[in-house]
Order: sequence, then C-alpha cells, then structure tokens
Amino acid sequence: MTSRTVITGIGVIAPNGVGAAAFWKATQSGLSVLDRVTRAGCEHLPLRVAGEVRGFDPGAMVEDRFLVQTDRFTHHALAAADLALEDARLGRADYEGDPFSVGVVTAAGSGGGEFGQRELQHLWEQGPRFVGPYQSIAWFYAASTGQISIRRGLKGPCGVVCSDEAGGLDAFAHAVRAIRQGSRAMLVGATEAPLAPYSIVCQLGYEGLSTSDDPERAYRPFTDKACGFVPAEGGAMFVVEDEEEAGRRGATVRAVLAGHAATFTGTQRRDASGEGLAHAIRGALREADCAPEEIDVVFADALGTAEADAAEAAALTAALGAYGRKVPVTAPKSGTGRAYCAAPALDTAAAVLALEHDVVPPTPNVYDVCHDLDVVTGSARPAELRTALVLSRGQMGSNSALVLRKGASATA
Amino acid sequence: MSDRLTLEELAVLMKTAGITVDPAEMARRPDSAFEEYGLDSLGLLRIVGELENRRGRALPTHADRCKTPGEFLDLVNNSLMTGA
Repeated sequence: MTSRTVITGIGVIAPNGVGAAAFWKATQSGLSVLDRVTRAGCEHLPLRVAGEVRGFDPGAMVEDRFLVQTDRFTHHALAAADLALEDARLGRADYEGDPFSVGVVTAAGSGGGEFGQRELQHLWEQGPRFVGPYQSIAWFYAASTGQISIRRGLKGPCGVVCSDEAGGLDAFAHAVRAIRQGSRAMLVGATEAPLAPYSIVCQLGYEGLSTSDDPERAYRPFTDKACGFVPAEGGAMFVVEDEEEAGRRGATVRAVLAGHAATFTGTQRRDASGEGLAHAIRGALREADCAPEEIDVVFADALGTAEADAAEAAALTAALGAYGRKVPVTAPKSGTGRAYCAAPALDTAAAVLALEHDVVPPTPNVYDVCHDLDVVTGSARPAELRTALVLSRGQMGSNSALVLRKGASATA
Repeated sequence: MSDRLTLEELAVLMKTAGITVDPAEMARRPDSAFEEYGLDSLGLLRIVGELENRRGRALPTHADRCKTPGEFLDLVNNSLMTGA
C-alpha cells in the first residue's frame, strides 16, 4: 500500500472572505458577493461584474520588501500560504533542520498582469530606464512559487503548473507525487489577480465571459439564463503531507487527496470537454479506488454557457451512470466568480470544509436548473459527506477531476 | 556638491525596494552589508536605476555590486564629483 497524502492546512483569500472560517461562513450561507468592477482603470471596459477581493490588506500580512517586488496575484499567494501554514501549525522550526523536505507548487493562469502593465506604461511614457528590475520576476507565472519558497525558506521540490484553469487541480497531483518521492510536506494551491485593465482586455476574447451588468444575473450556470461566467481574483493555498508524517507531528488531517486525473480536449471545444471531463472523472475514481455511488457531492466546473453546462452534465452521467443525475452538485463559484486556476483551489477548500461540516453549500443566483442534475440551490443542504469530487475545465481545453475523502476517516 | 548622495537619500531610495532603515543606523554601521538590512541584489539594482534617473546620469557599471552602504556612497559620490 502506498501511503496517503492528506491536507492539514488551508489558507483562503477569496472575494467572500479572508481565512477559511470567513470563507466557509459566506459559502455555506449562499451569499453572492459578485458586484460591479471597481478596480482603477477598468471603468470603461465591457466587463461589468466580477468577484473582487476587497477585504484584504496585503500590507497587513506581507512585508514591504516582498510587496514591492510582486504582483497582486503573489500578494494573494503569500498571504494564503501564511494562513495555510498557520492552520497546519507547520512553522519554520519544523523544517529548518531539513529545508529540502518541504516544497511549493502553484498553478497560475496569467501571472502578474497588473505589475507588468504598470512597468510597460513606464516604458511607453518615460523610456526603458524607468522600467524597474522587479519586472523581470513579478509578471512571471512562477513568481508566487518562488517568492513563497524564498520567504519561507522552503528548498524542496518547487514548480508551477501552467496547464490552464484545471491546473489548479493538477497542482495537487504534483504535490502528491512530491510527497510520494519523499518530501515531508508541500505548499500547494493557486491564486490569481486578473482584474486589472490589461488583464481584463486579455479576457475579452473568451467566448464564455459574461458581460452582463447585473450582479444577480451575470453568472447563472445550469440555467436557461446562463450567459457565461464572471471572473474573480484570490485563491487558496494548502499544506499537504504524508499521512503518517502528519500523524507523527500531531497535525489534524482535514481531508485525504484520494485521486486525480486530467485530460485535454482542445481550445473552444465545449462539446468535447464533456468526454474529456468524463475520462478525467473515471481516472480520478480509479486512483481513489472509489465507486461512483461513493461520491457524496460534486463541486462542478460550472462554466455557465449552455453548451459547456450540457457537456458537464453529460460527463457526470457518462462517468457516474444514472447516479450522475442523483448526486448533489454545487457550484459556490456562482457567488464569488471564477478565479481561473484559483477557482478549483477555492472549490477544493470549499469541498474540504463541506466534508468537515456535513453540509453541501448552495449555488448562489441559480434557481431554475435546466439540466438533469441535482444542483443544490437556495440554501445549504445537510448531508452525510464522506467523499467529494471537484471538477475543473480550462478556457483552453484542460479537464481535471480530484477526489477528496473525509479527514476523519483517515484516522479511523 | 548639492547632488552628493547622503545616507538620508539612500534611506529614501531603499524605501522603494521595500526596506525601511534609519539613516542614523547606517551612519553607525556603514560597513554592515545591504543584505543585513534585507536588501537583495535586485533591490540594489532598483536603487541604482532610481538614482540614475534622479541625477540624469549613469553610475559606474559595478555600482549594483556594492556590498555596503558605505561602499555605495563612496563609489557614487566619487563618480559624481569626477564626472566619471
């Protein structure tokens, strides 16, 4: 038997709350925090509604010398990593004797667009001498992994997964592999900050982007009013470790990373994403040694277009059989927005918290579901939850599935 | 000369690299390494660039390799005085 990899710490920076407790309180209440875009320089753009992180003061959590050389997406990552380490009670004293035993892997969808825009404006307006040296590192996809590693003295396996939005789940697979290869613990997750002018312009070409100006109607997946998705910022970081190692140091096991699989079905192929997603679900179930009926809740990708939602519904029945029409499905992101790679990371946080509380959080702003799915709407649904399935698809064709088992069973 | 670099101005420049330091502290220990104040090589590169823009002239190419505030001040002020 290979040993299991478990989640022992969760750090969340989300539009609906900073910290796992605040995030869960808002998530299980079904609160929607989608609102008009207020970030500077975005007023004239056709994207009207987004999930902005407003309750987060980077300066209160991260030292100036890290703030000045990093983009907002890395501010989110550094803060979320702190929260995760604190939650796991994993401090520098635990690993400074062997810093090579702890690594970092993040997923990123676009890097530091806001920082890059500012420096390019300096280049355009004042000339090359006014582009600061931090531009060389801040925009880069790997910036968050690198800065976490430097700030925390983590010298184990470090990497960044750039496999589209579903990379937020694929990062967990990389972390599990690092643990199996001998790392004691890994920081893993994804954060994004795509709500700045240049970054938003890059997204305007996404056919699924909702340009509705009504926060209550802009993102309603699985309904016949579905008009695309609303983007968001923020994300989540996790501490994962070998189960026995966690037990030895007395850490609380919050959930077990039981299975993962990924597929790729090509850009702008919403129809094909169903088959790809079904294949990923089957693979994740196989790795988790999990029967379809053992899945107690599905955290859906919920892209929010008719074609993509139909493909996801088809994937669930293709992979889970008739049970795919009965299993409770939720998409809390309809109340916070879709934070690209960070969306499945936030869904994973919500799934762990749902398993802990035996509650399926609802899908905000969604009322009349037009697919043959049991989408949990309105208010949270109490249910005995032992296993959760988290799904994610990317704008560019990646599809991933992650199976999580309840933490309590890990110690049984 | 009025455009001599002082420890006060260096402290202001270090702030752009996210480092808060008391100039009096640097005056007491001019040979303490930038590293001890938390300033890394990219941070010093930023300070050099900022200073070049402020003075409107280039500093010697090895300015960003100075290890201490004292060394940096000497190099910059010698360069500014000689016009090198």
